[in-house]
Amino acid sequence: MSGRRVALVGGATTRFGVRSATWPELAQEAGAALFRAVPELRAEDVDSLFVGAAEPERFAFQSHVAPLAAEQMGLRPTRVIQRTELACASGQSAIRSAYAAIAAGLSDVAVAVGVEKMNLPSMAEANAAMACVMDRPWDGPSGATAPPFFAMVAQRHMLEHGTTEEQLAAVSEKNHRFANSNPTAQFHEKVFSRDRLLRLPVIAPPLRLGDCSSMTDGAAAVVLVAEDRVRQYSGPPIWVRGTGQYSDFHNLANAGSLTDWVGLRHAAREALGRAGIAIGDVDFAEVHDCFTISEIVEYEALGLCGAGEGGKFVADGRSDLGGEIVVNPRGGLLGCGHPLGATGIAQAVEVWSQFASQVPAARQVPDPDFALVHNLSGSANVHSVMIYGREAGD
Amino acid sequence: MTGEGKGRRGSPATVSTEPGPAPRVPSASPLPRTKESRPFLLDFLPLQSESETRLSRFFARLKEGRLSTTRCPKEKLLDWPPRVACPRCHTEELEWVDLPEEGRIYAFSATLAGAPLGMEADVPFAVGLVDLEGVRLRLFGRIVGRPWNELRIGAPVRVEPYAADDGRVFYRFRTTD
Repeated sequence: MSGRRVALVGGATTRFGVRSATWPELAQEAGAALFRAVPELRAEDVDSLFVGAAEPERFAFQSHVAPLAAEQMGLRPTRVIQRTELACASGQSAIRSAYAAIAAGLSDVAVAVGVEKMNLPSMAEANAAMACVMDRPWDGPSGATAPPFFAMVAQRHMLEHGTTEEQLAAVSEKNHRFANSNPTAQFHEKVFSRDRLLRLPVIAPPLRLGDCSSMTDGAAAVVLVAEDRVRQYSGPPIWVRGTGQYSDFHNLANAGSLTDWVGLRHAAREALGRAGIAIGDVDFAEVHDCFTISEIVEYEALGLCGAGEGGKFVADGRSDLGGEIVVNPRGGLLGCGHPLGATGIAQAVEVWSQFASQVPAARQVPDPDFALVHNLSGSANVHSVMIYGREAGD
Repeated sequence: MTGEGKGRRGSPATVSTEPGPAPRVPSASPLPRTKESRPFLLDFLPLQSESETRLSRFFARLKEGRLSTTRCPKEKLLDWPPRVACPRCHTEELEWVDLPEEGRIYAFSATLAGAPLGMEADVPFAVGLVDLEGVRLRLFGRIVGRPWNELRIGAPVRVEPYAADDGRVFYRFRTTD
């Protein structure tokens, strides 16, 4: 990586779920939680604010949310204030932008916050907002939404590779089990056995309710600082070691293979290359399990297993605690819920908490050196990857 | 009122052309769109008239029963959706071509819950990706004719234009087996 080295020195997540709280109230909660979690953080030191928010226009009828978030959090940025929007990857985009600003010398102390309010009185209105993520005038009229798209990915994966419903349920069971140790998770207290998951109603065949992440309200925030500011913070720094992204289509007609996510291969190669490591060096990964099939396809695109072997990989426990790599110890989008703009930030909070040994034993990855965070957005047409490390690197 | 706007092909056939002030209270009858007060960007159908899009020909062709798209005259490559500039050589001189009506299902699913606003009454409805016969295009669309649980990969379908209540048009696929 070039430029100044950048560390993440702490963060916090609000409770995720169907919240009796508005967008601005969630932003306030995130600010309050952040200042509690990072006691050395002083508002006047925060020179920049990056706000990950996917669809406040549709979900909260609100644009220009960066200054709104700043006011709610008690911040007055002097260098950079902006919103980052990349649908389901809006939160990671905020972190990447903060990283870039600090590496370039424009910012010294930046907050990246993600906020999404998704549950509305009308579920159909919320679903319409979600559908706008797709190619609205050309795929939208036919009813293109995430569940049937990822259902087609699952259908093709089953056809081409023999993947089973039981293997899909293995992803959901694992991630919900991890969420049981995460009090901020939407499904913190719900236990889902594989048998129970296989009896839940079908939403978009072959995907059942337990194969789908949910509509979630929530927010999360992290602090990123330049290397010469790290010593002001008592928590252990974790270092941004690499980033990569890839975007190769938008309209569904241009998706190419549904089961080989070439864009993720590109994004991961870029991020790992910048970090100077191989996928085998990564101890745990927070990946975008918006649907169970997503996590299976991601194992393959990340090179954790061969093409078509993702279902067996999870069913054999190789992505579980005690396996080769722990995937989604936070509980994933399946267990935590998926407030679009907040998800990427909450994944980074988990990475920091894992490195700082501040998570319950039920999901603590032993002594990690490297973590990978992945978000897809839309119809898996964009992939965003970040690598974090315990050491600062070169 | 100035009557129906230029190219508002989707407007109702009966339109008031009488001069006079705009009505203070919205009428229950169809209004001309020049003083339109109802929101248009809360549904999914594209705006289709000549005054709204440079691709109005696509919708005019569709009304005549033909699905079409643009092709770069130099490369002879089709794009979907239709474009005003080639994404490869960036020429803005594209030509229109009609697409094959026949295709085969590459993948499909259905919305059994969670439909967007305006589509709740359609549930359950099937959608899929369809390989059009003889061209390298795989289009997404609704699939009608059989319930979702009777569809299969590889089954033949035919392009079928349809009109929404307000006259705007779109395409879907109908099973032919």
